[in-house]
Amino acid sequence: MYPAQIGYYKPDSLGDALDFLEGKDAKVLAGGMSIIPMLKLRILRPKYLVDIGDLKELSFIKEGEVTAIGATTRHRDLASHKIPGLELIQETASKVGDVQVRNMGTVGGSLCNADPSADYPAVFTALEARMVLRSRSGVREVDANEFFKGPFSTSLKQDEVLEQIKVRSLKGYYQTYKKIVRRAGDYALVGLALAIKLDSGIVKDVRISFTGVDEKPYRAREAEKALMDSKLDESKISEASNLASRGANPPSDSRGSSSYRREVMRRLLKNTLEGILNAS
Amino acid sequence: MLVEPGQKAKIKVKVNGVLHEVEVEPRKLLVDFLREDLNLTGSKVGCDTSTCGACTVLVDGKSVKSCTMLAVQADGKEIVTIEGLSSDSKLSPIQQAFKDNFALQCGFCTAGMIVQTHYILSERKEITEEEARDLIHGNICRCTGYQNIINAIMDASRRMRQ
Repeated sequence: MYPAQIGYYKPDSLGDALDFLEGKDAKVLAGGMSIIPMLKLRILRPKYLVDIGDLKELSFIKEGEVTAIGATTRHRDLASHKIPGLELIQETASKVGDVQVRNMGTVGGSLCNADPSADYPAVFTALEARMVLRSRSGVREVDANEFFKGPFSTSLKQDEVLEQIKVRSLKGYYQTYKKIVRRAGDYALVGLALAIKLDSGIVKDVRISFTGVDEKPYRAREAEKALMDSKLDESKISEASNLASRGANPPSDSRGSSSYRREVMRRLLKNTLEGILNAS
Repeated sequence: MLVEPGQKAKIKVKVNGVLHEVEVEPRKLLVDFLREDLNLTGSKVGCDTSTCGACTVLVDGKSVKSCTMLAVQADGKEIVTIEGLSSDSKLSPIQQAFKDNFALQCGFCTAGMIVQTHYILSERKEITEEEARDLIHGNICRCTGYQNIINAIMDASRRMRQ
């Protein structure tokens, strides 16, 4: 399959890319793992591609109290790099697609594609990350929760580029990303991003976010509320798992029916929390 | 570099050690460029959706699926295909291991499997069977002859350590 006829621009800097994007029918290409299949299916037919994949200025991991991750950082680089206080990111990156996909694909590309079953959107929503969007007219920051609008839809404007993602360190949190797939390499049937802070068995903070169960990452606020400031025990875990699965409205598709997904959500959260309870 | 729609891009790529300066349409996929323009038909188009890995090649030493990369993206980079892994008509240790372990049936996935194995073993010398299964999961064998492929990868890793 060939994409439709297309123009191509490879800028030398982010500034050049932003200049070019303004007022043009153009799409940004980073690793290409999402956009090239869409071009081949001719779901997308922009006039130009703007290839930012090799821009060194956008590929970085700057650790700190707030860690900044450049948008074109490859999954491979995140998978081989443990960020203290944000171990969840490494775990997630190492579960994206397969080796070849991780060698090309970028974290920013995956986020901007906003596939409702992708891994990072749920994770960065749980981490309450800030998305830094730059255009020629300036820069703005958007909460991950606000950034994702729906399936393949974000608050990114046509002339904007996701420059970096900022994430506050969650030191002392137990963090994990669990994904249920039908076959190796599939998109998630259900994915769970969890970060929880315990103090003598009492839940001091918790973030629960799912992928694959809604049009965008689903933050299980009711379940979080039930757990907050309570002792983590079997009955609390059951209550939270039920709340999380009841509050969702998962789609039915070839990967699984809505009710099946709901049951997978419940068990995934229950098993994960029980694992934490037994380990603590 | 700016290429208007309908125009061709001038790119420079090194493929299996040979430098090519060519003109390609921006929409041309890397695998089609290798197969049609350079006649390197070892890399196969299997699923054409970046699932099966039959088109796997090395770009700057990293394995990628060449059906999901544009030839223009390879500008300035170095590519190795299955044809570039053997020299003087002698099989590489990995190719030999695939042959000795009967790790192919119809052979369509084999080029991608072998290139990916080269990448895996260039990254790490020692590997467990479980790791091998995980690292090769981006390559699909529709004959489902996986056990011999895993045996070949483990055998190749032993041979390369000797």
